[in-house]
Amino acid sequence: MAAKWIEMITGPLDQKKQYREAKKRIEALPEPYRGVATAQHRYYLVYGGVTDGDTLVQMFTDLADLWERAAIDGTPVGAIVGDDPVEFTETFAESYGGKRWIDKERTKLIAAVDEAIGKEGRP
Amino acid sequence: MGKQMTEMLKGTLEGIVLALLAEQPAYGYEITARLRDHGFTDIAEGTIYALLVRIEQKSLVDVEKVPSEKGPPRKVYSLNAQGAAELEEFWKTWDFLVQHIEKLNTHKTDTTSKEN
Repeated sequence: MAAKWIEMITGPLDQKKQYREAKKRIEALPEPYRGVATAQHRYYLVYGGVTDGDTLVQMFTDLADLWERAAIDGTPVGAIVGDDPVEFTETFAESYGGKRWIDKERTKLIAAVDEAIGKEGRP
Repeated sequence: MGKQMTEMLKGTLEGIVLALLAEQPAYGYEITARLRDHGFTDIAEGTIYALLVRIEQKSLVDVEKVPSEKGPPRKVYSLNAQGAAELEEFWKTWDFLVQHIEKLNTHKTDTTSKEN
């Protein structure tokens, strides 16, 4: 009961735990994988605009999965990322359909265009 | 890989991967390897990884976690009914595109007529 009440203020505790878990796994990676995973993590916090916590947690967990696997298999960073690190990082994030702050703006844009079209119909 | 090739592949890679999974289930690295066998040599592994995440989120594949010798278990992806329907749709779209784009290809008919 108490936990639920606290979560109303802080957000789901379970989610925070999973997030910290993923962050810890990224920090534990050997170089050069830690460097690239940390850079991507940072990029997402700035670029991602994901407001949905579950999506964010899933994304970071998968990111940890990806780089742990690469570290174990010894796959070169270049073979994972390809020629364009920004493209790769953004494509990765786009796979997660979570809510983004831009969604709200998109809804507003669509409503504004609909309204304009509605006015057009009138004499 | 050329910029144009990358751009064109972007729209079709999902269909290509679904087609590969229709042959048999696979995990991430196997898919990249099989793409290479099919002549797609320059695709970054991470591109495939992101794509697999996407088709999983869209429920086009079933995922099974299979233990690996070292490290975390590998996710093995197999096409499900929804994925098969999506693949069917992809081939229809692909056939449409091929037919209509080929009609624009006057360059090719020119060269063949010169050769004859």
